[in-house]
Formats: sequence, structure tokens, C-alpha cells
Amino acid sequence: MGSLSVKLFGKTLRNPVMNASGTLGYGREIEPLWGIETLGAYVTKGLSLNPHHGNPTPRVWEEGRGLINSIGLQNVGVDRFFDEHFPLFQQKRTPIIVNFFGFTEEEYIACAERIRPDRLIVALEMNLSCPNVKRGGISFGKDPDLVHGIVKAVKGVTEIPVIAKLTPEVKNLKEIAQAAYEAGVDGFTLLNTIPAMVVDVEKRTIPIRGGLSGPVLKPVALKAVCEISTSFPVPVIGAGGIMNQNDALSFLMAGAKALQVGTATFIDPYAIPKIVKGLGEYLKRCRCSSINAIVGTACG
Amino acid sequence: MDDIEGKITKNDEVAPGYYLLRIKLSRPMDPFVPGQFVMVRIPGKDVFLRRPFSIYDYRQPVLTLMYKVVGKGTEILSKSRKNEKVFVLCPLGKGFNLRRRKHYVVLGGGIGIAGVHALIRRLGARSSVFFGCAAKEELALIKDLGDLPVAASTLDGSYGFRGTVVELLSERLATFRKEEMEVLACGPVVMLKALRRILEKDRIPCQVLLEERMACGLGLCFGCVTKTVDEAEPYKRVCKEGPVFDLWEVCL
Repeated sequence: MGSLSVKLFGKTLRNPVMNASGTLGYGREIEPLWGIETLGAYVTKGLSLNPHHGNPTPRVWEEGRGLINSIGLQNVGVDRFFDEHFPLFQQKRTPIIVNFFGFTEEEYIACAERIRPDRLIVALEMNLSCPNVKRGGISFGKDPDLVHGIVKAVKGVTEIPVIAKLTPEVKNLKEIAQAAYEAGVDGFTLLNTIPAMVVDVEKRTIPIRGGLSGPVLKPVALKAVCEISTSFPVPVIGAGGIMNQNDALSFLMAGAKALQVGTATFIDPYAIPKIVKGLGEYLKRCRCSSINAIVGTACG
Repeated sequence: MDDIEGKITKNDEVAPGYYLLRIKLSRPMDPFVPGQFVMVRIPGKDVFLRRPFSIYDYRQPVLTLMYKVVGKGTEILSKSRKNEKVFVLCPLGKGFNLRRRKHYVVLGGGIGIAGVHALIRRLGARSSVFFGCAAKEELALIKDLGDLPVAASTLDGSYGFRGTVVELLSERLATFRKEEMEVLACGPVVMLKALRRILEKDRIPCQVLLEERMACGLGLCFGCVTKTVDEAEPYKRVCKEGPVFDLWEVCL
């Protein structure tokens, strides 16, 4: 039986499957159905220095084979997460990746400073799709200089490895990745949701603008994973429309060292345990000794 | 809570645009509290997210849901046939809290009756039931209540009181002992707002079952919130902290 365990930033995860940030609540909500320790690592809901209320409804909208969300980063704040929710992961010895964001560079820095290194914290994942309120609301992740500045600043205040989660809404993804890499980033998560909207033809209105996720994203994300993983010597975590074992395998073969499953959980709350099981069965079938052996095999 | 496979045994149009769906579950559902709901995976490949429905009735192993066709999901569901397979995540959310009062006044507006049907059955004689709809064709929605007395209103006056169900309740309110009563309601937001206006003076206790677009139904995505008076954390999840809320704590 091959091993599903992967090593990420010096820490061993039992498998490469994670949730995408914001798609598994604070972790405890899924516990009535399956144990959080099933995950290779739990990715937190996006956390900020101060609690954030989020947007009014509608916050979710099904559109074709995708889901548009406009949650607005509602969260209890980084301190309350560690007081109220982190103990569950300690009790279950489940590694976590802390996704965080800010609306100014100072907020990113202050938030990263609040998070003390812990044997269970694998990395900090920076949500770079946030609007920069001091720069007219342009998202940090769209401008190579902003990316370089913010990654460098965050790297300067934490010893924890830092992952940049990139937005696909850029002219040149590689240029953005290059800026983050030169600033010392330790890895990438590809991709965040794509900005999108819906038109209500009856009312002639736009009922929702938000981030598009789900199966429509998969081919876009695969291309990004292949391109970035072959260009930079740091791990890439793949995300975007992973619905089943085969999707998971395509991301691994495209060069992702680990995976994040998001929208699939809303359709089938058992999607994550099924994918973990499916990957194990695949290893048996291909007589591979380790899941690492297939990483990047399709995109060399 | 579990994701249970089931088979459609009946899916009939009981009034124009309203359907009664019976699903035979392959495993027993956990005990439920009236007001709780389920997430149904719609047969076929044209919709993708599950859809939330109140538990109308459950008698092991048959789960009954009542729904109105309002969009693509319910449209496809209405065309689903006997023996089609569905997956049902159930039971979900927080139902009505039934320990506090002696006399319950239950209000259902339109398809909102689906949210309080199981409640009315469970309360039996402990409740006074009010149902409001557009016209007499929709009285079929309360047919299953059988002998239980229901005060009904229609907007067009084709049956019972002419007007809204809240106007009807307002006329009868003086006959109830306010210190012993609690109102339990499900219906459109305009109905709940009108209800608030008539209960405001005496601040009569009231629980309301809310509806919202959902993605997961489990509290994972924070997609289905409602605004409350809690200033520190105004947005509460309808699927997790609800769908039943204290009327005096929500901002409708």
C-alpha cells in the first residue's frame, strides 16, 4: 500500500487533501459527518486582525457549473479563532494552514504578527485578492509591486512559512508569482475564485457580484498550476473545481504537491473523505509507493 | 445528521405550482424537531447545489416535503418521477423551541405552511392555527391537517377572511391571553414584517422560520445569513443558528 503522506515546509501531512479556505466553516461544523483529522491539513476561514461582519445577502448564487459567492470575508478575527477554534485541532492533532487577509498592508502585518509559531501550523496563506483601501481598492494580488511589498513585509514579521494565494484576474500570473518569489514567498495556492457577476433579465439588475468557484474553474487552475510549478522551486497547492479523485489526480500530475477542495463539499459533504480514499485506491492500482511520485508527471 | 439515499414515491401537484414530494429513505432519519430542514440533491445534471426544504412530515421511512416551484431547482424537481433516486442531507438546523409557553399561535403564509406543518401536527390542540394564501385553490396546502381547526384567509376573498393572514390574526388577537401565548410563524418577509407590527406593542414572544439561498446547509460557507440585532456579530447563519429565530432578534 502506497503512502499518501506529503511533506510541506518540513511538516508531514497524512495526505495531500485540504479544504479551500472558507468552505469548511471553522472546522467543527463538519464534525457530525466526518472527523476533521481526515484532512491532510485544515485551511482556516479567512481571518483578519479584527472581526469582520461580511456582506448582506444574497451571498451565494449557482450559475451553470459554478458558484458565485460574496460572503465578504465574515470572520471572528484571528484572536477569537485561536481561543475558540484552535483547541479542536490541537485535540485532534490536525495541522492547519492559517488563511488571512487585510485591507491595508498594516492589517496584513498586524494579523501575521498575532499568529505564533506552533507545531500544528504548517503555513500562513495570504489571501491576496483583497482590495487595498489605500490604493483605490485595487486588489493587492493584481499588482506585482504591491505583491512584492506585502509578501516581503509579512515575511519580515513571521517565522512561519508564507503561501501566497493568487487571484486569476491578472494580465500575467507568472509576473505576479515572480514578485512574490523574489520577496521570499515559500509557496503558492492556485487559484482563488474568479471575479464574476449575474444579470437578472426580468429585473434588469445585478443580484450578485462575487468570486466564481467550482468545476468551471478547473481547466484555468490546472494551467496555472502547471505553469507556476515548473517556473519556481517552491511547492504549489492546487485549487479550483476539484470534485472527485480524477480531478485531484489531474492537479497532482499538473504539479500540485497538495490540493484544496471547496465547492465540492457543498454538493457532497463527503467529497473530501471520498477523494482521500480514492487517492489511496489509485496508489494501490498503479502500484506507486508514494503519492509524491505522481506530482508533476504530466507537466514536466 | 446524515446523507441518506432515498427513492421518490410520489411527487404530485396539489395546487397550481405547489407539490407534495414523498421520499422513501433507505435508512431512518435521526429524530427531528419541527422547523428543521433537509438539503436535497436535485435529480439530473442541470443543477448542481442542493436545495433546502422544511421537513413537512416524517414517518419512518417516508419523508414528505412540500414545495412551490420558484426557480430552476424546484422546476426540475417538479418533473422528477416516481422511483428516481435522491440524496437527502438531514435533519439540519435548529427547529422551534417548544418548551416555553402554554398556548401557541401558529401562522403559515403561502408555502410557509410547509415550514409549520410538522409543528402543527405535533402541537395538536395546544395551538391555534392561521393560514393565509392568495386564493381558495391553495387551500389544498392545508388538506393534510384534517380535522384540526384552521382560521384561513385569502387575498381575493374566495374563501374565509378576505385579506392577509396577519390582518386576520390582528382581529382575533384580543381574544387570546397574551401572557400565555407565543406566536410561531413561517411565510414571506412582508408577512413577518406585518406580524412584527401587530405584536410590537405587547412584545409578544414570537419565533419565525426564515428562508434564504443556501449552498451547503451545514454552516460551512456562511452564505445564508440573516441580519440580527447582535452588534458584535450581526450576520447569523440561517442553516446553523436558524432557520428558526426569535422575531425580536432579527432585522427583517
